[in-house]
Amino acid sequence: MGPGQIEMEALGQELAQVRFTKLYREHGRAVLEYALRRVEAREDAADVVAETFLVVWRRIGEVPEGDGARLWLYGVARHVLANLHRAERRRTRLGARLAETLRTTIAAHPQPRGEAAAVLRAIADLADDDRELLLLVTWEELSPSEAARVLGISALAARSRLHRARGRLRRLLEERDTEGER
Amino acid sequence: MNARDAERLLAAADPVATERLDGLDFEAMEADLLADIEGGRAALEVEPAPRPHVRRPLVLALGTAALAAALALVFLVFGDGNSGRPARAYGAELIRFAESTPLLLLEGPGWRVQEVNEYKTREGNEGQMEFVTGKAVPWGSIRVTGNDEEGQYQEGLEPAAVRQRLVHLNWRELSQQNLATAIEYERGRIHPHGRHFVRLPVTDTTAFVDTHAEIFVNQGGPGDREMLALWSEDGFLLEMTAAVPDLAGMEERLDWVTKVDSQTWLEAMPPKVVKAADIRATERRMLQGVPVPKTFSLGRIPEEGLTVSHDQLAGKVTGVVACLWFRQWGEAVRSGDAAAKAEAEKALLSSPSWPVLHREYHGNYRGDIYKFALAMPQGYWEWHGHHRDLLAHAEGLGCARYGLPLVPAKMKRQREDGVPPPPD
Repeated sequence: MGPGQIEMEALGQELAQVRFTKLYREHGRAVLEYALRRVEAREDAADVVAETFLVVWRRIGEVPEGDGARLWLYGVARHVLANLHRAERRRTRLGARLAETLRTTIAAHPQPRGEAAAVLRAIADLADDDRELLLLVTWEELSPSEAARVLGISALAARSRLHRARGRLRRLLEERDTEGER
Repeated sequence: MNARDAERLLAAADPVATERLDGLDFEAMEADLLADIEGGRAALEVEPAPRPHVRRPLVLALGTAALAAALALVFLVFGDGNSGRPARAYGAELIRFAESTPLLLLEGPGWRVQEVNEYKTREGNEGQMEFVTGKAVPWGSIRVTGNDEEGQYQEGLEPAAVRQRLVHLNWRELSQQNLATAIEYERGRIHPHGRHFVRLPVTDTTAFVDTHAEIFVNQGGPGDREMLALWSEDGFLLEMTAAVPDLAGMEERLDWVTKVDSQTWLEAMPPKVVKAADIRATERRMLQGVPVPKTFSLGRIPEEGLTVSHDQLAGKVTGVVACLWFRQWGEAVRSGDAAAKAEAEKALLSSPSWPVLHREYHGNYRGDIYKFALAMPQGYWEWHGHHRDLLAHAEGLGCARYGLPLVPAKMKRQREDGVPPPPD
């Protein structure tokens, strides 16, 4: 075998690894931010990131190219998050390392106060799917069609649900304002 | 409070202060992730993967009119003309056009751009460039001799020394095909010498090189190899094909591939490439000596805003004219209009003498249009002794792509797709 020659069997594996590493470098932080916004403990977010990328590795051939990759990763992270407390927690090196890094680099979530606390309480009252849609659009800054791809629904349905969720959030906040005034 | 106020409050309640994550070094944690993948076994020895590029590919959605208008402002030449090469300022739209390509050049000594084509397809943009050194090589794989008057002959391959002066670079947006799929396809192709891949550096990434990409059996001997390099970069799948004396020749050519800025890329365009601002004027000139039907107007020629080669433009101009004549013929046959039928036949039978097909086009249209024209009087296309629908075969000229389908079934599908039928 000549210098630099690749064994054919190794080629597919190598390509997958190059792509996987690229996905991790490009989107690791976005997945971490996504998770941090939805968990109470930073350590949980670290586990979500680690578990999400293990799924990515297993399903590397399914990850779309281009901008679709981030949306696909959010979709996986969403499922990982949903199963976080159901499944036996896997001990991963990345999870442990990332959790440790988060402990030293960022403080625990500050306790939300005032308006922020009221808003977070209000969104907790929304239906799960509506809340997730609203958060994807507001916090992850996705368009309604992109959020629809994360949730596996049609863009039309996403727009309609988003309209409903925004209205419901507004009403909830108004009700809380009214209660506060009494 | 309205819904917008509520959403603003929600945005402000984002619990993650993203700037606090700036210090996290994800690359430093890569080994842990890869060790997890190995299920606790020894960490993989990972070859450093290409670092992600900052520049994202521009998704080109140029309105043609906007492009043409902007290009009219292009090529403002600054300087007093006495200071050597004048600096050019390119308009924003032309810069955007350039940036819809991978902005790569082959910066080998004496090499230049010979041809550039870009196509806007349903799946995304794709294009190709040809680089040449020395005299132009219009066809590397077909040697054409003779002349128009006495007839041309295709004599197989150019000699290796000629082919090795040519490099093709193709690109397509990664949304159409990813690198792994492209390599899988290459791996699956049968080659008498077996497939043999190596990995070579290109720009700041790695190319997977098929060292036996020869198509013809009389290639592939000592000093006469054809190789294909595949890599992905900036959202594009890149494919570089070159006839080379050996692997070192391929390595050298890949080393010459350089990422440039849009200004440099546009400066490298050869004079024969049609500057988009000149497209309408060029089309008018190409139509000289070509009989056109009453239904023709320049607006019939689809402006994709990406056409840059004379060859491609000439094909499109003559294709639209021919398709309109075939449509007239089809309608005349269906309605029994003998005069309109005869007019279309006469026009298309004159196609071998259309100047544009002689001077500016090297493709197969000239022969194709004429062979279909020859079949018009009999009213069918003979294929292995069978009588076939002539218009269905003439569709192969790309009529549906020009928005001018010839057969009723395709016209119906066009209507169903919501494409307005062309006014006749």
